[in-house]
Amino acid sequence: MPADGAPPGEGLLGFAEAMDASPAETAPAPGPELHLLTFVLGREEFGIPVTQVREVIRVADITRVPHAPAHVRGVANLRGRILAVVALRSRLGLPAAEPTPRSRIVVVDLRGRVLGLLVDAVSQVTKVPEASVVAAPEDVRSAEADYVTGVARWQSRLIILLDLEKALAPTE
Amino acid sequence: MPHSFLVIDDSKLHHQMYRLIFGRGALAGSTVYYATNGREGYGLLAAHPELTMVLLDLNMPEMNGLEMLERRRAEAMHPHVPIVLVTTEGTAEDEARGRAAGAWEYLRKPFQPADVERLVLRALAEAAPTS
Amino acid sequence: MGDSENPFGELLQDYVLECLPLAEQVADAFVELERRWREGDPADTLLTSLAGRLHTVKGNSAMMGLVPMRETAHALEDACALLRQQPECRNDEAASLLVAGGSLLVDLVRDASAELDPAPAARFVERVRQWLAAGGAPAADTQPERRRAERRGAEAPADPDKAANVVRVDFRRLDAMLEVLGEGLIQHAALAEAYRALAPRARAGPELARLDHAVVALEKTLKRLESTLMETRLLPISTVFARFARMVRDTAEAEGKRVRLVTAGGETPLDKAVLDRLSEPLLHLITNAIVHGIEGGEVRRQGGKPDEGSVRLEAAPQAGRVVIRVSDDGRGLNEQAIRKKAEALGQELRDGETVPLRNLIFLPGLSTAERVSTLAGRGVGLDVVAGAIHTLGGTIDVATAPGRGTAFTLSLPVTLAIVRSLIVEIDQERYALPLAHVAETVRAEPEAIREINHRGVAQWRGGLIHVADGGALLGTARGRPEPRRYYVVMSAGGKRRGLLVDRLVGHQDVVVKGLDAALGRPDVVSGTTILGDGRVACILDAVRILEGGRRAG
Repeated sequence: MPADGAPPGEGLLGFAEAMDASPAETAPAPGPELHLLTFVLGREEFGIPVTQVREVIRVADITRVPHAPAHVRGVANLRGRILAVVALRSRLGLPAAEPTPRSRIVVVDLRGRVLGLLVDAVSQVTKVPEASVVAAPEDVRSAEADYVTGVARWQSRLIILLDLEKALAPTE
Repeated sequence: MPHSFLVIDDSKLHHQMYRLIFGRGALAGSTVYYATNGREGYGLLAAHPELTMVLLDLNMPEMNGLEMLERRRAEAMHPHVPIVLVTTEGTAEDEARGRAAGAWEYLRKPFQPADVERLVLRALAEAAPTS
Repeated sequence: MGDSENPFGELLQDYVLECLPLAEQVADAFVELERRWREGDPADTLLTSLAGRLHTVKGNSAMMGLVPMRETAHALEDACALLRQQPECRNDEAASLLVAGGSLLVDLVRDASAELDPAPAARFVERVRQWLAAGGAPAADTQPERRRAERRGAEAPADPDKAANVVRVDFRRLDAMLEVLGEGLIQHAALAEAYRALAPRARAGPELARLDHAVVALEKTLKRLESTLMETRLLPISTVFARFARMVRDTAEAEGKRVRLVTAGGETPLDKAVLDRLSEPLLHLITNAIVHGIEGGEVRRQGGKPDEGSVRLEAAPQAGRVVIRVSDDGRGLNEQAIRKKAEALGQELRDGETVPLRNLIFLPGLSTAERVSTLAGRGVGLDVVAGAIHTLGGTIDVATAPGRGTAFTLSLPVTLAIVRSLIVEIDQERYALPLAHVAETVRAEPEAIREINHRGVAQWRGGLIHVADGGALLGTARGRPEPRRYYVVMSAGGKRRGLLVDRLVGHQDVVVKGLDAALGRPDVVSGTTILGDGRVACILDAVRILEGGRRAG
């Protein structure tokens, strides 16, 4: 985990860098593993498959979109492309919060749909054994509805696994 | 000596095709004039006695190929310039009428770039001894 | 000798551009022949005049090595030759054969590629061969069934992926080029902005003048690039019109009516992106005209009209836009019924003031109401049609005369991709307003806007218009610390309305970008764009804002 106030990379969390850092921590584990990008919302740590992640960027100007759904933070300019940015907190029913210097936008690619997720902080790319995943405890499930596929308990951490395609299904 | 050609065809697609044919191989660097009907084509023929060869489509609005050939013969306009009549699946009868009207050769669609190149070589060969 | 090795393969798109309109004219002529023959008119001239076009399609197809097209055109030529010599063969059977072949030819040319399925053409050629062998008489046994099958085949919508095989690939590339151009325009805007900020502070000198010159020259160059690229994206509107000839024939047949489609201005060019989204609304309007506008033969005779109704479809360029008119010579709209229905739907018709028909006919729920549709003779969902036209940045208007007919007039932008806009600022957010819908910008003097019935009203050009607060409309107003300094008068479809803004930033050609589905369908925003400073701005949907009526006022 990067030291407070000193996030790695120049506005872009280099994956290579993050991945170089990870092996030390993830000691050889038996059986198949999940390759996750983990991030923080409030006091919880969430994980999504790295295959869905394109990049992580700093929070720049986000333009409000009038009359958009409440969980949509707005749109941003991603190198000439319009990126819709979702406030993942409000999508998951957590209390809203203003971005801080540690906030990041995780750019995900869900089968061709490119979206930005506003998160409180990005922790790292990590590998957890599939065997460490258990069904979500009741209290987690009620808070985050059916977007949670399970919870990984690994090296004293608790990572909530998100199904982004469900959480970010297009709004009618 | 650079060659020059006149294409008379109402199809813009055919202009593009000739552009490809005259733009490569031995013919690259040739000057090509384009007309979309016989009237326009006749004007260009009159202005360019130096033409190496003319490719004249048979079916066109505003003076078709046959009509243009007949006018050219009547006015004896640059009779030394060989005119190739281009048709789609023309009959032997068409061909005879074309030749009678003064067409030097006959080219049937579909043709290949090589067919045009062969005709050009022949035209040059036939023109050589007299000059 | 593989077709893919054709020396002219790279000209496939040129082939489609040249041959598709020709094939469509031939197909339309066949439909017209069928109609005339039924009336006993031998239509010799028409039969002769289409020969040249058919011949060109055959010749071009041959050159391109496109065998199915060449064979189909050839078979049609043979059939036409026989029909020219033997007028007694000009019957329904022959007409069906020609119509099916014309239809097939259009489909083949539209989908032109080297990997085309040769089977439908081979079947058609065989059918013509049998018909010719029988001396122009139907091969009795299999005919009716086969005919039905073939007609279905011909009319089934072309496989969307295959349909624009070549053209689509090319247009994607054009779209990519447009993206790059868009970035260039944005970078230029950034450069110009930086120059404007720098110029007052810098010392005047030759360098500054050179920079100024370069900024201006670059803009001109980018504009030239833009117009060239835009031209490349244009296709004749006949590519859409052509689909309707057969549709009109079949719909009329199903309704037991006689209707002819007259088209004009098919050569009018339009961006492919607009064309692709235009065919559906036009289809609605034409279907409505046939089903509800044109009367049955009996009624028409009583009204002193010819038995056969006509639907006209006309296009013409007009001041950077394209105007399309769909008109019929039917019974016209029942205005009274529409007004009654509108009242029932709660549309105020105060003070005997006459609300123009066009403000009612496109209301949701009005034209779909069954009662009106039977009374007024107008069918389904004109609000849906209007919505589709509005999303294209267009307008729609209607005129009608009882017993004489109805005309819908559409005005559309030639292209969607780049829109000249006024950039405004409201509560620190910037928005783009397409200039097509901006009538004027006005400085908002403190006393000029009065409040009537809790709505702002201002005098404008000798009348009164409603003026809404931009922040309230867009949901950004928090209290109101300072009065806004300007209002923009927006106008569309005869409606006008003012929108109060803080600042007029300037004019800019904005490259329209879409909205992700995650954004829902925000009803006042039609798209997004990137401004000179790199920030994203929403493009306001003037038409929707004007329609929004009092909600946000």
